[in-house]
Amino acid sequence: MVSTVTNSDVKQKDVDQAVVVAVTFAAVFGPEAEDGSTVYRLGVALPLLQVLQRVNERLLEKNPAEHQLFDVILITTDSWQQQQNSSIINSTRHHGLEISRFCFSTEDNYIESLVQNNVQLFFTTDGNEALQATHQGVPSALLDKNSVSCPSEQLRVLFCEKAIIQPNMGSTEASKKSAQNFLAHLGQMRQKFGVFDSPLCFTLVTSHGGKDSCCCALKSLRSLGVSVDEAYCLGGAPRGPILSLLRPHFLLSDGFSLLEG
Amino acid sequence: MVKMSLDAIQVMSGQVKELKVSPSSNGDTRGSWEGKEEFDPNQLELTAKPKPVTGRRARKVEGAVFFPKPENAVTVAVSSRVLFRTEREQKVFEQKGVEEYLRYQIEHENEPFAPGPAFPFVKALDAVNTRLRELYPQSEELFDIVLVTYNHAHVGIRLINTINHHNLFIERFCMTGGSSPIGYLKAWHTNLYLSADAEKVREALAEGIAAATMFMPEKLTEVSESQLRVAFDGDAVLFSDESERIFKTHGLDKFFEHEKENEDRLLDHGPLKGFLEALGKLQKKFYAKGQRLDCPIRTYLVTARSAASSGIRALKTLRAWGLEIDEALFLAGAPKGPMLEKIRPHIYFDDQMFHVEGAAEMGTVAAHVPYGIAQKYNSQQKMSSGK
Repeated sequence: MVSTVTNSDVKQKDVDQAVVVAVTFAAVFGPEAEDGSTVYRLGVALPLLQVLQRVNERLLEKNPAEHQLFDVILITTDSWQQQQNSSIINSTRHHGLEISRFCFSTEDNYIESLVQNNVQLFFTTDGNEALQATHQGVPSALLDKNSVSCPSEQLRVLFCEKAIIQPNMGSTEASKKSAQNFLAHLGQMRQKFGVFDSPLCFTLVTSHGGKDSCCCALKSLRSLGVSVDEAYCLGGAPRGPILSLLRPHFLLSDGFSLLEG
Repeated sequence: MVKMSLDAIQVMSGQVKELKVSPSSNGDTRGSWEGKEEFDPNQLELTAKPKPVTGRRARKVEGAVFFPKPENAVTVAVSSRVLFRTEREQKVFEQKGVEEYLRYQIEHENEPFAPGPAFPFVKALDAVNTRLRELYPQSEELFDIVLVTYNHAHVGIRLINTINHHNLFIERFCMTGGSSPIGYLKAWHTNLYLSADAEKVREALAEGIAAATMFMPEKLTEVSESQLRVAFDGDAVLFSDESERIFKTHGLDKFFEHEKENEDRLLDHGPLKGFLEALGKLQKKFYAKGQRLDCPIRTYLVTARSAASSGIRALKTLRAWGLEIDEALFLAGAPKGPMLEKIRPHIYFDDQMFHVEGAAEMGTVAAHVPYGIAQKYNSQQKMSSGK
């Protein structure tokens, strides 16, 4: 049974216009404190949470009546986590995180929960969870220890091909549509800021294929309303060194095309 | 007082007697094929998806296109402002600001830019690649041209359209949207960086990357389409600026004295030594296939040193470094413009703006290497960058 609890410390966002993102318990909080205290330490998602908050602040600065904001919810994905509900709520309020709702679900029903809450992007540290959610039409992104070193002043989103060269791995018609929807929102948010000093930055990295593949991706993203700020066409060169310089908060590879046809 | 001959003396390398020279450290060799640390992408891969099974392959073939690994190729990074002519767009940027500039670029997306000062150079690199591929079809030891620009990706489509229009083989690029490209230059093992912006060039030099600022000459003399010709100044370009320091502070006599005394001591290396070395390695690949006379790469030293005196130290240093330069021209102080006009290099590197301007006046594409003591003495004369 899923229970949804509102965080009274945080102002609730407009259900229709907000961009809902879900972050798992394991991403928000680190491994359990050994002294058995009920306040969890923060995990790898901290810079992401901070930067989403920053984007919201900048959007509200521009327009105090802005409704197209990020709405962050915390979701549990197994029964053990589900049972820690009071500790989770306590810890969230203790750290002052801008999480508006908690979804206490289990491994059996968390995806349903994501869908019901209109989640547009699901952040997790678990690869399987990401795959499963994507299959069900919820775009997902993975967080790991590298996420810790991301900047907290600017949300850096990276568009790229998938890491594994397997066609349609995890991508379905439903997920493509949701991804495009999310991209359109991102594009709109970005438009509200100028070329410089923007709290959002979009980067395209194409590893395989040449300049024409990159050109195709640029046009495809543009048609969705996403104007890319930085573009790197690697032409087969390894991605690692470039990614370590770019430090994106997350990678997106669904919803836009890199090759003709 | 030494009487200076005004006739330029041409010396073919190999005619200098081999004498014992004391070894000196010559810094790293950026052009070496082996020994470049292989970067493990898995260490820093940010996606936590299961690791790709294939890892990095030795060769990547996509259709007919072939991408060499950056550390195996001679990577030449050029900025959009030197590869193409973008004066009009620059004006829009300066007069109307960045938003209008980007709007203008997108509006004119399907209009290709005209070729800029680095264009003939890049075309020549392509020609060499074609010859190399004929002889060594499996090799990754080729020129790899990367477009590196501070431009926003909004301009990307126009740049790609332009590259296609001119049939340039550039499959790697880097549009940083305003942030410094130095990190990417290093990640791509860049052997040479050409830009229109002196600040960025200085930044690259400070990081140990060979770099030079390019300018658009008013007229462009025709250059060969089949043979790449690269000309270098000696002091503060191939060699360090130590001798130039003596000349600037103590005058010509002291300079000659110093050079004579130190004839057997090698000069220290300068910022472009590595690039000359990289060219040499490619040249040897042609020699190995019996194509010395028909080699599509030719290198030149064009120096104000005199053949009979101060030039000897330069030649001995090159010899000790194992670098063969095809032609060494000792001008003994004569102006470089006329000589360069005869040589017709695709690019000429010099550390002094005076010489860069002189070369450009006669139609040679000259690039300024802002290195060494000469920068303090550079002429205040502003370079006319394209009309």
